[in-house]
Formats: sequence, structure tokens, C-alpha cells
Amino acid sequence: MTIRLRDLDACFEGVIPSILATASADGVPNISYLSHVEFVDDEHVALSNQFFSKTATNLQANNQATLLLVDPHDGNQYRLDITFERSLDSGALFDAMAAQLRASSAQLGMDGVMRLRAVDLYRVDQVEAVPSPTTATAVRPSVADRHLAAAATLAVRIAEASDIAAIVDAVLDGVREGFGFSNAMLLLKEPSGERLVTVGSRGYAWSGIGAEVAIGDAVIGTAAAERCAVRISDMSRIRRFGSAIRATSADENRTRTIALPGLADAMSQLALPMIAGGSLRGVLFLESAERLAFSKDVEAALSIAASQTAAAVALVDSLGSEPSLVTSEGNGALAGRPFNVVHHTFDDSVFIDNEYVIKGVPGRLLVHLLRLHLREGRADFTNREMRLSDELRLPELKDNLETRLLLLRRRLEEKAAPIRLLQTGRGKLRLQLAGPAVLAVAKGKGSSTK
Amino acid sequence: MMIDAELAGFMESAVMIIVGTRDDALRPQIGRAVGAVVDPAAGGVDLIVSNWQWPETIANIRGNGRLAVTFARPSDYTSYQVKGPATVIPATAAHRACAARYVEAMTATLIGNGVETWVIVSQLIDHETVVLRMAVDMIFVQTPGDKAGRRLEPSQ
Repeated sequence: MTIRLRDLDACFEGVIPSILATASADGVPNISYLSHVEFVDDEHVALSNQFFSKTATNLQANNQATLLLVDPHDGNQYRLDITFERSLDSGALFDAMAAQLRASSAQLGMDGVMRLRAVDLYRVDQVEAVPSPTTATAVRPSVADRHLAAAATLAVRIAEASDIAAIVDAVLDGVREGFGFSNAMLLLKEPSGERLVTVGSRGYAWSGIGAEVAIGDAVIGTAAAERCAVRISDMSRIRRFGSAIRATSADENRTRTIALPGLADAMSQLALPMIAGGSLRGVLFLESAERLAFSKDVEAALSIAASQTAAAVALVDSLGSEPSLVTSEGNGALAGRPFNVVHHTFDDSVFIDNEYVIKGVPGRLLVHLLRLHLREGRADFTNREMRLSDELRLPELKDNLETRLLLLRRRLEEKAAPIRLLQTGRGKLRLQLAGPAVLAVAKGKGSSTK
Repeated sequence: MMIDAELAGFMESAVMIIVGTRDDALRPQIGRAVGAVVDPAAGGVDLIVSNWQWPETIANIRGNGRLAVTFARPSDYTSYQVKGPATVIPATAAHRACAARYVEAMTATLIGNGVETWVIVSQLIDHETVVLRMAVDMIFVQTPGDKAGRRLEPSQ
């Protein structure tokens, strides 16, 4: 039976080290372990060129080599007769492998230590299964077709979504229902371009809505900076990046930073850049407590969904210039108990009854709406009005207001705040107050109020 | 060349042993050994290899005797490669007992590192073993890092 390289996808995950043998021109063999073999296509593999000098010298004199790959699912071993073709120091394959190496270096706290010099491309002449007592070298059927069908279903779901909130839900519910991945989050790029902000998640102890990741940081930030997928199949040897996972309100109130959720025992992670119109829009991130949860096929299928999401988000953002209406209800005569809203101007953070809610542009938006409501008894606000407001100091008109409003809305829901932004229709939001609001402004980092 | 006692101890411990040979067309071949018996003073190493699983490796040694073997400790990647001529001899009862002990120790080590049993089984086959008797004439430090690939001189 002919074994196709694509059927050996799990062997390329780098879980069990591969082996490379070469021989010098005068017939002295050399054998060493390799950390990673990259599948290119059914006729080619690529190796990162970080070899010991003996291997490099041998390949110059004798371009024949042999690889041994081990399937981490069943331990089956495969021997590949390969022939060195050429070294690459640029191009899509090189960039992708360099990004993977940088991501895993960042994970290990060794940023910049491991730099990819070159990628060596090999032609695969023959693939053979090594005799094994456990199985009759059965080759698992490819599941790529199933993933393609799931990606198509997901793409339709995203296309049907008409606003940012619906898009975020479609993606996150879609990866769970179509692919069975129940730990996922969606982050969108801030207009400043330096950070990603979490706008939705599934499967975590807390949602992390509003949590930020700097572009370039860890797996998610690397996928954004490099604009290519980052996939980790076995975290057991990799120290988990970042601070210990914590989510208490007390921490939030002190740091005014929302903690990014995460699986403490994650073994696999996949971060997919969302690109549309040539620009990065965000990152779709998935993780799993299983080893090898995200195969190359899953990565390919979900990349389609990530691109589709980016396009949908970009489209909604551009359509967001239509006025969207915010109405308000509850003008202080409500039966509910009064509550305090404190706006800290130095970072635009907003606390409601001493609980941190949000900061930055969404914080300014909330205070602006509340102030208009209190001052003028206003009932209706439009997006256009908010875009033009001097008071809001929006960095620029093209600011992704829809995303900010979504963030604010979800965050208020999550905090069970006495102020809510309810979506009442397409482009329509309602400011709902559970009782009389007392707004105070705090200048400086202290807690003094106006 | 002599093999110092520390290196000999490392080679006989629960470390992965991978075996490189080549055929007459200089096509390299890969195999695995299940245990090593070192004679430090003589610089000799007996490597126990399954002829059932790695017949090409055995055939290459019968054909030209050129052998390279890398010993690697999974926990910290400490690795050494030795090279030299080898011949194929039958495995004795002592060799087979050594292989059985090696498979047991290596399995326990890999399980301790989080590798599943069914993944280990096919890498540690001691079925129909023969012995590659090797005379070491080159030793290289192979541990990843700045000394990787460095040759140990006979005086070291």
C-alpha cells in the first residue's frame, strides 16, 4: 500500500522527536534527533537548518538522507527516503516556519535566541512503514473532508450574522458545534494597532471580555504580529506563558486589567490571524487539554473561518457609518436603589459601586451616554453623534465603534451592572438604568471624586 | 579508543539508542537498539538490535560495517554519538537479558516523561535480536547547545 505523506499529519506535530540519518562521501554514517519536520506537500518535507556541522557537510557531499517519523497517536514508525533539494531563506514556507520557531521561543522565554537561518527543502522518494507488533501498519483515513464541510457550515453561519455581536457568537458557537472545540476566544485589534481585545469567549471560568493581549506577546500576540497561524500540539514541555490564571474582582479593581482566561492544563493551542482587505482584524484562539487537538487539517479549515470572520467584521465596521440609535429608559425616578458611577479620567476607567467595569474608549462611551442622559433627559443617541462628539475624544472617526459598544454591552452584562446597553434591533441600543445613577469624576490616580 | 567510565555508564543507562548505517549506494538507514553493553577499556560496544524490525540496518552492517550510534537521554537531551566499524554476531543469553532489562527501564522512563505505553511499544522491540559489535573510534558530544557536534579527542 502506498502511504501518502498527508496521511501522516500527526507525525509532523513535533511531539515525538524525528530522526535524521546522513552519510559522508566516504561512507561514514551520521545520526541525530530533530525537533521538527515540516510537511510541505505529498512529495516534499522541510527541515529547519539548525544542524550539527557533520549533517550539513554530509548533505553537501551526498544529498541522500533518511528520516524516521513516529506517529504520536499509535507509535507507528515511518521511514522516509529523502533527497536534499535546496535551502530557502525567504518565502512563505520560510516565514511560516520562522514564525512557529519564534512563537515556541517566546513560550520558553527565549525570545530571539532561536532564530531560523534557513529551511532545507527535501524531495520525498519513498515512504515505508517500519514493522510494528501493534498494528498491521494501518493508515488512518484523512479527516480533511469532514473538516472542510464543517468550515463551510461555519462560513455560512458567519455570513448570516448582521452585526458584530452576532458574528462573534456565530464563530465561537460554530467552532464548538462544528469542530467540537469548546475552549475558544475571539480578539479584535484595537484601532491603535498595538493590542488585541477579547470580545467573546466560550468554555472558560470567566469570559475575559475586555482582556487585552499586546501584539507580539505569547501565542495570540505572535499570530497577530506574524500574521500567520501558530499551533502548539504538546505544551507539556513548554512553560505556560504569562502570569498565573486569576480572575478575582479584587484584582480587577486594583489593576483595572481584565485577566485573559485560559486552561491551566492546556496541551494544545491554535491561534489564527483574522485578515481582511490586507489588514489584521483580530485573532481566533482555541485551546484544548488534549495533546494534538489541532491537526494541520483543522488549522486549514479554521483558517477559512478566521478569514471569513475578518471579512464580516470589516464589512460591519464599514456599514457602521449608518446611524445606530441608542435610546434610554429609567430617568432617575426608578424604584431601584441609587448607584455610584465613578469615571477616572486618567485612563477613562469606570467603576460602578466600586467594581471595575471597563476603561479606555468603551469607558468614555459609557460616561458620555450616561452624562447626556442625566443632563438632558435624552432618550435617543446615534452612533453618528458619538463619532462626532468632542467630549468623547475618539481617536478618529473610523474608530470601530460597533466593537466598542459590543465590548461595553457584554462587560456590563457580565458584571451584572445596574446599567445595561440592550440591543433592541439592528443598530439600535437602549441604555437601561435600574435606579438613579450618581456620576462622579475622579482626576488623577487617587480615588477623590468631584 | 577508550571510553571513560562515566560515558560508559551513560550508554548503558535508560537512554534512547538510535543507529545509523548506509548501503552501498550511500543511502543512509535508521534503526533502534534495545540496550548496549560497553567494554570501556577496549572501546567496544555491543548494541542489541531487532533483526525482525530493522533488517536493513543489519544487512548494511553485514555489507560494509560502517556504524554511527547516538545515545540520548529523554529528560534533558544529553546526547553522545559514537562511530566506528562493526560486525554482526549472534545475541547471547546475557545480551537478551540485557535487552529485557533495557526495555523495562526505558519504558518506565518514558512513561515517567508522559509518553503513552502504546506509543513506546513499537520503539522498543527486542524480537529476534542480533548484536552489532562495534569498535568505537570517534566520540562526539551531541547535546544541543554550543558544544554540539564537538569531537572528543582520545585523551579526553
